[in-house]
Amino acid sequence: MIVQSIEASRCPRCRRMVVPGARYCPDHPVAMEPASVPGVGEIVSFTTLHSPPEGFKAPLHIALIELEGGARLFCHGQETRGIRIGSSVGVESLDGVFYFSHMSFADRARLFWRRAGARGEKVASITKSLAKGLFRGRFRGDS
Amino acid sequence: MTRFGRRDESLPDLIAEAGLAALRDAGVERPDALVVAAMNPEEFTGAGNYGSLINTYLGLAQVPAVRVETATSSGVAAVWAGFADIAAGLHRTVLVVGGEKMTHVPTPRVSEIIGRSIDPHERTYGTTMPALAGLITRAAMHSRGLTLREMAQVAVKNHANGARNPLAHFREPVTLDAVMESRLVADPLRLYHCCPISDGAAALVLTADPAPIRIAGIGQGTDTLAVRYRTELTSFRATQAAARAAYAMAGFGPERVELAELHDAFSPFELISLEDAGLMPPGKAGRATLDGETALDGRLPVNTSGGLKARGHPLAATGIAQIVELCLQLRGLAEGRQVSARVALAHSIGGLATNNWVTLVEARA
Repeated sequence: MIVQSIEASRCPRCRRMVVPGARYCPDHPVAMEPASVPGVGEIVSFTTLHSPPEGFKAPLHIALIELEGGARLFCHGQETRGIRIGSSVGVESLDGVFYFSHMSFADRARLFWRRAGARGEKVASITKSLAKGLFRGRFRGDS
Repeated sequence: MTRFGRRDESLPDLIAEAGLAALRDAGVERPDALVVAAMNPEEFTGAGNYGSLINTYLGLAQVPAVRVETATSSGVAAVWAGFADIAAGLHRTVLVVGGEKMTHVPTPRVSEIIGRSIDPHERTYGTTMPALAGLITRAAMHSRGLTLREMAQVAVKNHANGARNPLAHFREPVTLDAVMESRLVADPLRLYHCCPISDGAAALVLTADPAPIRIAGIGQGTDTLAVRYRTELTSFRATQAAARAAYAMAGFGPERVELAELHDAFSPFELISLEDAGLMPPGKAGRATLDGETALDGRLPVNTSGGLKARGHPLAATGIAQIVELCLQLRGLAEGRQVSARVALAHSIGGLATNNWVTLVEARA
C-alpha cells in the first residue's frame, strides 16, 4: 500500500524539502518547519549491490527517488526489473523502512484523479500524462 | 612515499618510512611542525591521538603536531593545513605525512568503517561507497551518455601506468575485456572499476624557503553529506568549488595544466572529475580517454602513478601520494613513466564528494 504522506521538513528560507525530517536546513542555519510529501515519485537512479554490508542480504536493490514535492528519498526494492531512470514509482513502508514499487493500474488511477481533482486542472493533467507517455515510449530502452 | 599494497608493517612504521625519507630528500632533520593525516586509525588499528603518537614515534616529540581529517581526502587537508601554517608565518618548515593500514581487517569490516563517512540515515539503507558510486554511474550513463567502454578504458590506462610505478599496489596491466567482464559489485560498476584496499603512507616537506616545486593554488570545496540533499548527481559541486578556488589562488586557469592526478576511486569518477576540474569540456572526457588523450603519451596525461585504481588507495595517504607523483614528474624523477610538464593538478575526493580538494603545483624555472 502506497504511503499517503511521508513526514518531511521544509526550510522557511529557501523552501527546500528534506526527508526524513531534519532540524536544520543543510544550506541555511535555521530551524526547519514540519511538512509532508506524498509517497509517489520518480526514480533518479538505482543500483543492485552484490556484496552488501553486514545485516543486508544480496542482491540488495537500492534506489534514489525524487518525491512529488521535491524531496529525495532512498528506498529498497524487491527487484529492479522494468525499472528505469524516470520511472514513476510508489513508496511503501514496512517496519519503518521505505520500499519502492511499480504502481499498479489502480494506484495510478487513484493518483491521477486525486491530483487532477485537487488542482482542478483535469485537462492540463490529462495532456501532461499523455505527453509523458509518448515521450517515454519514444525513448524506451535508452537507460 | 612507501610502496602501496599489502604491507606487514604497522601504521607508525609505514608513516615513519615515508616521513623520514621525505625529510632526508629535503635535507631537513627536524621540521618546525608536523601535520599527520589518518582517516580512521582508531578503528583500523585501535590507536588514537595520532599527532602525538607519530611525533613521538619519529623522534620528534618536541615538534608541534596536529592530526587532520576530511575522510578519504585527509591527506590533502593535511597539505592545506601545512601550507596555511607556513603562509601565516607560524612555522618555516612543516612535515606533512599521511597513511592508513587496512589490509589486515576483513573486507566487509573495511567497507563498514569507510562507510561511516556516509550520511547515517542513508547508511541504514545499506548504502556503501560502491552503492552510491553505482547510483551516480548509472545516472551519468543516462544523462551524460557515459559508456561502459569509456569507464573501462580508465582502468586499463591506470593499470598500464601502475605497471611502470615500482611503488604501485598493482603492477599488472589489464585488458578492456577483463574489466568489462569482471564481477558486478554495484550495478553497473564492476570490480575492476573500483580501487583496492591498500596499506601505505606518503609524505611531503613544505617550506617557506625556495624549493624546486611551488604550490601555486590549493582549494577546498564541499557539498552536503547526504546524497539525497543534492539536486545534481552526475557532477560534483565540491570539485567545481575546489577547482575555482585553486585557479583563483594560482592566477591561472585549467589551460596551463599539463598533467593531473585525479581521484579515480571508481573509474567513472576520473571522467566526471576531468570535466568538473575544467580540464575537459562537458561530455568530452570519455571520448578523449578512448582516444588516448589522457594516456602517458597523450595531450594531458592523467594518473601517471596508476591512480587510486592501480597505485592503490590507503585513504589518508592518497592525497599526499598524488602530489608526490606530481613532484616526481615535475622534477624529472618519474623513471619509466616520465612525462614533460611544468604545471600539474591534483584532485582528491573526501567521502562521497562531500569534502574535495584541488591543488596546483608548478616547477620553478
